[in-house]
Amino acid sequence: MLDINKVKERIESLKKLPSLGRKSVKEILEENGFSRRDFLKWSGALAVSLGLPATFAPVVADAAEVSNRLPVVWLHLAECTGCSESLLRTDTPTIDDLIFNYISLEYHDTIMAAAGWQAEENFEEALKKFKGRYVLCVEGGVPTKDGGDFLTIGPDAETGLSKLKRTAKDAAAIIAVGTCSSFGGIQAAYPNPTGAKGIHKVLNKQVINVPGCPPSAKNIVGTIVYVILFGQLPAVDNFNRPKFAYGMRIHDLCERRGHFDAGEFVEEFGSQEAMDGFCLYKKGCKGPYTFNNCSRERFNQHTSWPVQAGHGCIGCSEPDFWDSMAPYEEPLANHKFESINADATADKIGITILTLAGVAVAAHVAISAIKPPKE
Amino acid sequence: MKITKKIVTKIEGEATLKLYKKDFLIEFAEIEFWQYRGMEEYLKNRAYMDACVINPRICGICGHSHLIATSKAIENALDIKIGNKAKILREITLGLEIIQNHIKWFYLTLYPSVKEINYFKALEFSKEISKIIALIAGQFPHNSYAIPGGVTCDLTNLEIIKVKNSLSKMFDRYQEIMSVDGKSLDLEELFSDIPKSIGKSLNRFLILGNNLYFKSNGNAEFVKEEDSISLNKNVLYKDKFYEVGPLARNLENDLIKKVYEKYQDSIYTRIFARLYEVNLIFEYLLKIVDEMDINEKNYIKPIKKNGKGIGVIEAPRGSLIHKIEIEDEKIKSYNIIVPTQFNLSNGTKDKLSPAQASLIGEYEQQSDLIFKCFDICAVCVSH
Repeated sequence: MLDINKVKERIESLKKLPSLGRKSVKEILEENGFSRRDFLKWSGALAVSLGLPATFAPVVADAAEVSNRLPVVWLHLAECTGCSESLLRTDTPTIDDLIFNYISLEYHDTIMAAAGWQAEENFEEALKKFKGRYVLCVEGGVPTKDGGDFLTIGPDAETGLSKLKRTAKDAAAIIAVGTCSSFGGIQAAYPNPTGAKGIHKVLNKQVINVPGCPPSAKNIVGTIVYVILFGQLPAVDNFNRPKFAYGMRIHDLCERRGHFDAGEFVEEFGSQEAMDGFCLYKKGCKGPYTFNNCSRERFNQHTSWPVQAGHGCIGCSEPDFWDSMAPYEEPLANHKFESINADATADKIGITILTLAGVAVAAHVAISAIKPPKE
Repeated sequence: MKITKKIVTKIEGEATLKLYKKDFLIEFAEIEFWQYRGMEEYLKNRAYMDACVINPRICGICGHSHLIATSKAIENALDIKIGNKAKILREITLGLEIIQNHIKWFYLTLYPSVKEINYFKALEFSKEISKIIALIAGQFPHNSYAIPGGVTCDLTNLEIIKVKNSLSKMFDRYQEIMSVDGKSLDLEELFSDIPKSIGKSLNRFLILGNNLYFKSNGNAEFVKEEDSISLNKNVLYKDKFYEVGPLARNLENDLIKKVYEKYQDSIYTRIFARLYEVNLIFEYLLKIVDEMDINEKNYIKPIKKNGKGIGVIEAPRGSLIHKIEIEDEKIKSYNIIVPTQFNLSNGTKDKLSPAQASLIGEYEQQSDLIFKCFDICAVCVSH
């Protein structure tokens, strides 16, 4: 049972801590032309997406306001900066991102003001000053081969592996942002030349995975606000993904779902079926095997998402999807397992992908293929 | 002689800069990158269509350029011609990626290294621009809507009107940042206490792509990669280093030419060309949007299964090259050469790369700014 009073107590105790940011949430919102009403609307929406009752909306607003009591250290490992791009730059300034910027980012390679030596100094200082209190967000997988020499950071050429371990040691909570830090990502694709891994593989602490390539800003902010609200990590599935975001399959709320059920599939890009918006399963959509909220939240201020633009889901929030979901333009049910890494792939699929539902999906597609095409 | 080792951050990753100085002036500079991911290795033996999903992940900032270059390389290998509509849609999304990249680079990377600025101005643009890209491509960054043979999306008339409307609205708003007659308050403010003529480089320019309104002045066949002391590779054209990017490809424009004649290839000209290019791209996009016929086919299916191909485009930072070899619908080999490799190669004292040449004879305090003027992308280099 969720106890709202406990949450309120916790927020009160956080309020007593010194604020780290220069400005209050109120000031930042006003500067950027958002009203209090916009802010409360956002809080309500976030409460719902966190799976909380509507009565929690004002508490979520309070939590966002005390979020600058929570120092955040953001590490970049082997990655493409796409997560930061989508979260901190491209989508801004929606309220989510304002809050995200507002949460005290003590260290972030791409967006902090300090650079070079100064930045390294800030980093060391933040680790000391906020020992045991900071939230560590990691973007990018960690190369482990040859002692991690494929990624070195900073003036002393410290390996990403050693920097990660050092930073994780005194973190209050660790959040893996994006598929690379959650599961190794593209770097870890076969033949994985740098021995890249998800960060939970090299740390002996609990890591919350917020995968996606890139993940949605809402999922990140949601996870952080949850940590503030409850002082603990959100409920997770067996891959340590927060259930509020990764609780349902892409397929469950897909706008093309009706066509799937009716057995209406796109067989060829550019065909009449494609123009009619039929189901993309046969063009390789991995929506039925992928847990994420893209079909509900979409991207770029709810504008669109890959399936809406006519390309199937590639399964980017699933572990090892670069290998297990390939080829991306062919349905998983037709998987021929003939590539050089067939053994590895077959094993992974056996474990992670082909659930009962997956078998049912394949059967459904096979049956509907026999049906004559609609006139 | 004094040697300083500098870490340059906020370039979508980091680079090490070793500056050799004499009498406070830089005599020689070495550029090193210490990250490696091995993109070309994962592509081997996969279905060629997978490259369209994997390659945008080379870079979160200019991933769309990688997608277009990939599709072009595959189309070249399998002799596919795409329709006019698909071509225009790709030009729009690629043009928009260049625009948002330039604005963000100016306000988020370059400006803060000199003085403070309210970067919400830049974010407003990138928010609106990423929305139009999402309308066409599904999401931004990282989409895969451009496939060999065309595009997957099927826009309605209403959506095209939205795109057009948004384009002209932003073009109007951009006039505050840099007007079509070349006036920019923020740029002049940036140079209020920095000399405009520092950072002169090789004065040798190369354009290899033929997209948007750009016309190539060379052939990508003559581009060669060679090993360097760090984890990146040097890139030479006919055995010489060349500068690529907005300055190189816009010297035909009268206004940019005028600035160039006054300050040569200094940092001011380089920044001016980049900011002014946005206007030229807006004008071009508004022109081609009207030429689109939405009744045309989105996609033409490839027939061939084997081939060798090359895809060359002008990306935000300059010429981008993708080379592919396809055997029985599988990738046999893949090679990627990114613009930052051209500009930031690590040459020797008697054979300098554009970035090295631009630093020589300057003070160390200005090295950060001069270096960042090339709009460096460290993640692309560490592909």
